Amino acid sequence: MSSRGGKQKKGNVTSEQEEEEQPLQAVLVADSFNRRFFPISKDQPRALLPLGNVAMIDYTLEFLTSTGVQETFVFCCWMSNKIKDHLLKSKWCRPTSPNVVHIITSDLYRSLGDVLRDVDAKNLVRNDFILVYGDVVSNIDVSQALQEHRHRRKVDKNISVMTMVFKESSPGHKTRCEEDDVIVAMDSKSKRVLHYQKTQGLKKLQFPMNIFQHGSDEFEIRHDLLDCHISICSPQVAELFTDNFDYQTRNDFVRGILVNEEILGNQIHLYVTQDGYGARVSNLQMYDSVSLDMVRRWVYPLTPEANFTDQQGQGCTHSRHNVYRGAEVSLGHGSQMEENVLIGRDTSIGANCHISNSVIGNNCTIGDNVVLDRAHMWNNVHVSSNVEIHQSVVCDGAVVKEAVRLNKQCVLAYNVVIGPNLSLPEGTVVSMHHPEEEEEDDDDEFLSDDQEVGHSKDKTRQKAFNPAEVGPEGKGYIWKASMNDTEDEELAQCLWGLVLNPDPESDSESEASEESQDRSRSVSPEIDDVNAFQLEVLGTLQRGLEENIVCDNLVLEINSLKYAYNITLKEVMQILTRVVLEYPFQQQGTQLTTLQYTGSLLPLLKTWSPVFKNYIKRAQDHLDCLSAVEELFLEQDTHQTAMVKVLMKMYQLEILEEEAILKWFSTGATNDKSRQLRKNQGVRLGQICVWGKPSQNVKGYQFGHCGSLILLLQKETTLLIFSDGVQRKQTPCSQCHKKESCGMV
Amino acid sequence: MELQAVLMAAGGGSRMMDLTYNTPKPLLPVGNKPLIWYPLNLLERVGFEEVIVITTKEVQKMISTDPKVKLDVKMKLDLVCIQEDADMGTADALRHIQQKVKTDVLVVSCDLITDAALHEVVDLFRAHNATLSMLMSKAHEFTETVPGQKGKKKTGEQRDFVGVDGTGKRLLFMANEADLDEGVVIRKSIMRKHPRMHIKTGLVDAHLYCLKKSVVDFLADNKSISSIRGELVPYLVRKQFSKSTNSPKVIDETHQNLKKNDSNISSRDEELLHLTQERSCWNDHRGDMSDAYHGGRLRCYVHIMDEGICYRVNTLAAYIEANRLAPKLFDEPAVHPSAVVSERCLIGADSIIGASCQISDKTSIKRSTIGVSTTVREKVKVTNSIIMHGVTIEEGCNIQGSVICSNAVIGRGADIKYCLVGSAQRIEPDAEVNITYHYKSITYNNCHKVSK
Repeated sequence: MSSRGGKQKKGNVTSEQEEEEQPLQAVLVADSFNRRFFPISKDQPRALLPLGNVAMIDYTLEFLTSTGVQETFVFCCWMSNKIKDHLLKSKWCRPTSPNVVHIITSDLYRSLGDVLRDVDAKNLVRNDFILVYGDVVSNIDVSQALQEHRHRRKVDKNISVMTMVFKESSPGHKTRCEEDDVIVAMDSKSKRVLHYQKTQGLKKLQFPMNIFQHGSDEFEIRHDLLDCHISICSPQVAELFTDNFDYQTRNDFVRGILVNEEILGNQIHLYVTQDGYGARVSNLQMYDSVSLDMVRRWVYPLTPEANFTDQQGQGCTHSRHNVYRGAEVSLGHGSQMEENVLIGRDTSIGANCHISNSVIGNNCTIGDNVVLDRAHMWNNVHVSSNVEIHQSVVCDGAVVKEAVRLNKQCVLAYNVVIGPNLSLPEGTVVSMHHPEEEEEDDDDEFLSDDQEVGHSKDKTRQKAFNPAEVGPEGKGYIWKASMNDTEDEELAQCLWGLVLNPDPESDSESEASEESQDRSRSVSPEIDDVNAFQLEVLGTLQRGLEENIVCDNLVLEINSLKYAYNITLKEVMQILTRVVLEYPFQQQGTQLTTLQYTGSLLPLLKTWSPVFKNYIKRAQDHLDCLSAVEELFLEQDTHQTAMVKVLMKMYQLEILEEEAILKWFSTGATNDKSRQLRKNQGVRLGQICVWGKPSQNVKGYQFGHCGSLILLLQKETTLLIFSDGVQRKQTPCSQCHKKESCGMV
Repeated sequence: MELQAVLMAAGGGSRMMDLTYNTPKPLLPVGNKPLIWYPLNLLERVGFEEVIVITTKEVQKMISTDPKVKLDVKMKLDLVCIQEDADMGTADALRHIQQKVKTDVLVVSCDLITDAALHEVVDLFRAHNATLSMLMSKAHEFTETVPGQKGKKKTGEQRDFVGVDGTGKRLLFMANEADLDEGVVIRKSIMRKHPRMHIKTGLVDAHLYCLKKSVVDFLADNKSISSIRGELVPYLVRKQFSKSTNSPKVIDETHQNLKKNDSNISSRDEELLHLTQERSCWNDHRGDMSDAYHGGRLRCYVHIMDEGICYRVNTLAAYIEANRLAPKLFDEPAVHPSAVVSERCLIGADSIIGASCQISDKTSIKRSTIGVSTTVREKVKVTNSIIMHGVTIEEGCNIQGSVICSNAVIGRGADIKYCLVGSAQRIEPDAEVNITYHYKSITYNNCHKVSK
């Protein structure tokens, strides 16, 4: 131990000297490893999407350079050629650049984990490095955080492996998106992260007790942090990723380190900045807010007019209300640029336009009487007259024809044509890629193909555009995120991401029920199991119906559930009966009339009769099933008249035996209510059985709408039995006096 | 009258039975004053003129008869006796005196010794129109060795988790470690309202509470709550964030009571206050546009003392510590004028000698308290000890780090180290006792003797 300590010390001394000399390194991951920006990112990698008319990766590189990074490794995977081309043309690859950019491409990267494992394999980093994504926009000066990080590592002998950079912003801040919301528990004094959790979809936040056992007596739980996705990592981070091949994302890593803190002794710290700006463009919601923040100069000195990418013709002028104009912009008579507007070079705008909070790219033409609010237009967009665009993204080369209205959160991907005279509903995404084409892409790993397989296929199999969707002259398909890919959760989420809506109401509403739940749970925890089982059975049956699963398989599933929840056979039967009988209410609401109820229930009974038969075998089973039926109809007392039909059906389907029904009827009246039920139903039940026994007498039966039972007797006569037990032959129903409505034959 | 003071002095002192076996806890001498004097003095200093003292018959009798427990306060004491055997909690006691409560109350425990600025707590109560405001302090490490304990006692007690907001004043969360099997669970809506929560564990509750009158009325309606600290305070803290204003369904008795009260006296004030709050641009939080306090009407605050003395004398260790610190709290001569102290003895400046003591020659007393009417003979050494009233210490004794209860007699030449000698005990001459309890006169001598 001592020798090792000495060795370490020695190593420290040398590394201290080296630290001064060694350049600060950064790992920039220019791939998101998800499809959040599909279909836009089908044509252009996310890092190259323009934000304020500058590719996002340029912001990240500028941030790294200004914070003192001298060597950056850019890792690309999806469309790596495009990123490479972009970077080679940019100022970062000029010989004068203070930040040496190495581009490393591989088709094999599937996650951040793969990238860092490669960093370790190639032994690229020798010292603390900064880890960022290619879509981070920031002006934070991380040198202080870096200093703190180095200090901690010196004092604590390399225990701290990572310092995460956060920006303080209260909940409800518009650059916070629900998806990325985190809650962090930290040690107030040492700034050590004790617990890190994404809060999306959570109502209660749980902190395990062991995080409070670290000797300190003051902890802080913070929900006012915006994760900038900038981390200062020690070289060990790459090694740790290699050691733990299941770490895919930074989230995995952080959670893994925190959970295994006691075993591995690694710690994570955080650095909170109050006045810097840092955000990751993780979905269009964020794109919208970050873009506007940029125009509003929150990311100073990275402002549109600064032209930090140092490219010819990118310069623009800045006038009050944050209006920026590029070179050669023409503005028609009566057009107003209210505030926060950025217009790229060679763009012409027609007369009487109204533009606010928008970014317009280069070489765009905009017609007359156009209203733009929070519109993000990229390059070469053509907008005709009388168009209205609200909070939408219009990609390169798109054409918006006359009198089109884009409602909130629309996306027009590359080269789409829309209109004329069309209003796109909120959240419409139009793309030149057919949604089905994507499924084909799935077969050949989508992440690795930068060959754009889609294009060739598109040509061979051109499908007609739907004029109802994109307008008479439109070109493009409505894009629907495919839901079949269950392993990729991100896909199910929409392009825009979830909006952070502060609705404490819904939260507190549950409070009362929560408490009552707590109470019931504490009284009898087993009830919960039964409830859960009931829900599972319901789900199974539902799925069975939707996917047409054979009853045998349903039985298998229910059997396995039975063991999982430790449910007795008797309970299985009762719950099954209950679930089936309640199924129409479950699906169509409780306001069903009795007629509707029986109408939807009886076919179900028929479908599932094999399931019932599997469970109802012994005489006792029959009785149990009957008592479950009885119990349900006692609760649903408005539908009691349906009971007899249900029993009849079950009898017909040979689920229930006649003896059992008779036995149930003659015994077992336990309380007033069930006695009442029997009295009401009894007459009719009795009749069923009467009908059942001397069946040679009866040809068929039918129900009158007032609940009467109509028996078709052999000799072409009809016997009407009313709920009060009165029998009449061939007489219309006494309650409605209408022959037809009683359904008499 | 803005606040009524209520002093809880009926506790049995169950955590220091050795001391309270003969003397009820409120009357234990600390720095030669009964313990109850300290909270009373605290209240008197800030200008209270009347105090409701909830206590037992025994204490009441002793206060009125025993000259040794002179309370020496000018305030009017309204002694309310409760039955000792009824096992009443603090909330029960408060319910008991509900009739006497006319305004908001300040509840103090009789075992609190503090130099806290009481106005801090009351100001929080006033400024935020709070339902509850309380006093807490950083926990102190007890440095003295406790009689009868070898080595340091392990802090087996479970910690309290107290959550306060960014300003450190608003009380958001409170739970004992014992109840947190599933970890600390906090609703997200609370975090959204108060995005920064400090969780502190090293705090002692001073058991000093300002409570709205409506809370006392609420207690009267809810008989199930029996302890203020154990049940009422956690309940109020929790209720802050349940839906209170909009939904009549939620059983928020406190607010129903508030409304009841509104109709009586304070309705106009309340309305005015509400209006002021609405019209004012003041807000207690930033980051969103919702009303001050997010529209919540139940608010709990805490004042956390960073420095100063704050002890609750409820264990032996705390009792010894309090005795050591008590002299700093009041300016009285260390040696009572009526004590007869020989010229040729050594008394440290950090010691207190009570009234009518007799201290003989060649005696040395350091860092100790000597009670009323105690006789100390020649050549006695007393260090770090507490000697209560009426004790007789014979010649040549050596007493170190011990507590000697009232009317004990220490035989000639005894050597007592880190011992607790019970009331009216007799220690034999030349006994040498180490780290033992000597108490309960029934079992005369259960000490562990070590003879040379």
